[in-house]
Amino acid sequence: MEPDSSQRAANARPGLRDGYAPLRDYAAIGDGRTVALVARDGSVDWLAVPDLDSETVFAAVLDAQRGGRFVLEPAVAYGVDRRYLPGTNVLETTFTTDLGVVRVTDAMTLPDPTGLTPVRELQRRVEGLAGNVPMRWSVTPGFGYGARTLRMSRRSGVPVASCGADALAVCTWEAGEPHCTQDAVSGRFETRPGSRALIALCFAHQDPLVFPTRAECEARLDHTCAVWRRWLDGRACHGPWRQAVERSALALKLLVFAPSGAVAAAATSSLPEHIGGVRNWDYRFSWIRDSAFTLDAFLELDCPHEAQAYFWWLMHATQLTHPRLRVLYRLDGGARAPERVLPLEGYRGSSPVRTGNAAGSQLQLDTYGELLQLTWLYASATGRLDADIARRVAGMADLVCRTWQAPDAGIWEVRSQPRHFTQSKMMCWVALDRAIRLADRELIPQRHADRWRREREAIREFVETRCFSDRKGSYVRAAGSQELDASLLVGLLHGYAGPDQPRMLGTIEAIRRELAHGPFVHRYSGEDGLPGTEGAFLACSFWLAECLARCGRRDQAADLMNELVGLANDIGLYSEEIDPSTGAFLGNMPQALSHLALIRTACAINEEDQR
Amino acid sequence: MSVWAALAGGLVGTLVLTTALRTAGELKLTRMDIPFLLGSAFTTNRTRAKALGYLLHFAAGLLFALGYYVLFLILGQSGWMLGAMFGMVHGMFAGTALVNILLPLVHPRMATPLTSAPDVALLEPPGFLMLNYGLATPVISLVAHIVYGALVGGFTLLAQ
Repeated sequence: MEPDSSQRAANARPGLRDGYAPLRDYAAIGDGRTVALVARDGSVDWLAVPDLDSETVFAAVLDAQRGGRFVLEPAVAYGVDRRYLPGTNVLETTFTTDLGVVRVTDAMTLPDPTGLTPVRELQRRVEGLAGNVPMRWSVTPGFGYGARTLRMSRRSGVPVASCGADALAVCTWEAGEPHCTQDAVSGRFETRPGSRALIALCFAHQDPLVFPTRAECEARLDHTCAVWRRWLDGRACHGPWRQAVERSALALKLLVFAPSGAVAAAATSSLPEHIGGVRNWDYRFSWIRDSAFTLDAFLELDCPHEAQAYFWWLMHATQLTHPRLRVLYRLDGGARAPERVLPLEGYRGSSPVRTGNAAGSQLQLDTYGELLQLTWLYASATGRLDADIARRVAGMADLVCRTWQAPDAGIWEVRSQPRHFTQSKMMCWVALDRAIRLADRELIPQRHADRWRREREAIREFVETRCFSDRKGSYVRAAGSQELDASLLVGLLHGYAGPDQPRMLGTIEAIRRELAHGPFVHRYSGEDGLPGTEGAFLACSFWLAECLARCGRRDQAADLMNELVGLANDIGLYSEEIDPSTGAFLGNMPQALSHLALIRTACAINEEDQR
Repeated sequence: MSVWAALAGGLVGTLVLTTALRTAGELKLTRMDIPFLLGSAFTTNRTRAKALGYLLHFAAGLLFALGYYVLFLILGQSGWMLGAMFGMVHGMFAGTALVNILLPLVHPRMATPLTSAPDVALLEPPGFLMLNYGLATPVISLVAHIVYGALVGGFTLLAQ
């Protein structure tokens, strides 16, 4: 019996393990609404439409057989070299074969104001550079995470896959005669020097399909490159790691959900933190945990529009839950993100595959510190706070006074019993400290400032007496424990302790000693309520480098930074974690927190250099 | 029928509608804030936007009341029930087309269905039935508009 087209495509791809490409092999392309992942072998294995947090049409990275993918590769053995077109989020992959060389340019195109643009459009331009290279392509849509039945038909000769209110047109030019089966559209063609084929996937969601002309597509792809370059030109990226910072800025921009200004933690769901493990989470939400770092990065990069939109969105999103904060919010500002398990195999058998995130309903006290720090940054940059926001910020400070003594799930959202996490207490201190500063500047109401001062001192008393280990010479993960936690570094970064404070210096040393292995830093020691292990957490490595820089150890910080920049994949992206033994990427990608931490660290070292 | 009565109904109706939405916001039932949506089309200062938005919303409330009045004249009758029916249609129109489709077209800071990189919108679009602003939003908005319509119709009837 002949295998179906998706199986043929999967079997044909080189370099796969258990049918899956290494996570390090993925590049991200996007349009400010959604993100696609493209493997080194030219397979688009992840794409949610119409938006980043919608159901997927390609999810082969989570289920090689049922997820759906878009394969485009030479039909003979090949080598791969790739890059982003300079200053853009447009990917260029060069396939070199014994028969010749082919260049594929991949983009999620941006709307062209002069034409009628499809709701979402994925374009793949194939150019022959040398010799004659046989190419094959196959589009296997998997609407609804591969679970929904699609209908294949032709409209005006164009193959169309439709499913409910969603449809996908496969428009091709010089890419061979499209061959339709029940579940795929495929084709073959041969490139020659100077040849130029084009395949455009045009998506529709609750509206009619748009069939563009070839000229419109070509113009839109060029327009997309120009728009990305123009955006990057306006950014402030300096110093020895300028290229890495620029790439991180572009990666971060991919995760900004343009309609609301929200920033997704990552573009994907359920890419595992441990191969074969259960630590597979949906990161297509915006975490309050990341908010201060995010705003700080926007301000450092000179992105005032993104900073203001993000602040407005946060204030809008938190309105319904005020004064309490949820751990995360949906990109449309909603607070509900119920977790459910999808019937997919998971990346290399890493199940369950989840959508939604149950961490949303946890108590995480550090979020208040993050939001108050973010407000402080915003108010410092703009010099004002609007009256209703000021009132709400003061209300949050009051809430911190009432709740800081409670145990919580901590910044890492452990699923074990709530504890008195040191970092949570430190961030409560940060929350009240920022509230007091805002009140002193008369930016928020001052009537409870005395109480904020009293509680701030009480928190410090708690941390200094119960969360410090004389034996380790370090703050510890939770009150009364002897475990360590790299998130304690955030306390220093947000100003709980100064860079010359002996206890903080001892904490940095203890983290280097017990949690770091070369450039790799693990999040914490001790249990977290989940089976299995995880990789080293990249943001923690960058935080360590930034702390070293802030403590005046510039050279150590720069050495670590150089190592960390070298850990990016071939096109400069990071996932959430890395396996220290193999260098393999783990977790969702591209990961905002990793790139945010890179930007901050590069800026911190630059600042030290300029002193 | 008196146009002044219709306008008085429009003024009171808008006051009730605005207060109802604001109260619902305070009760954490919705993030819908019509004055803010209107005012932020002209300024990014949130306080000024809300002040300006209230003026614009009351002006819009009076204009809609005039529209109701014209319909009452055409039909040759008015009343609480008829006004409430108009208000229901008005509320449905607001939830599906006015705020969701038409407002983003003219609002320079609100996202449209095509908003994408490198632009970033300061205001998320309300979405179908304004559901982006909370699940209770369509019900609250519809009820508030029905009350508005009933007041316009009722005031017009009382003046006869």
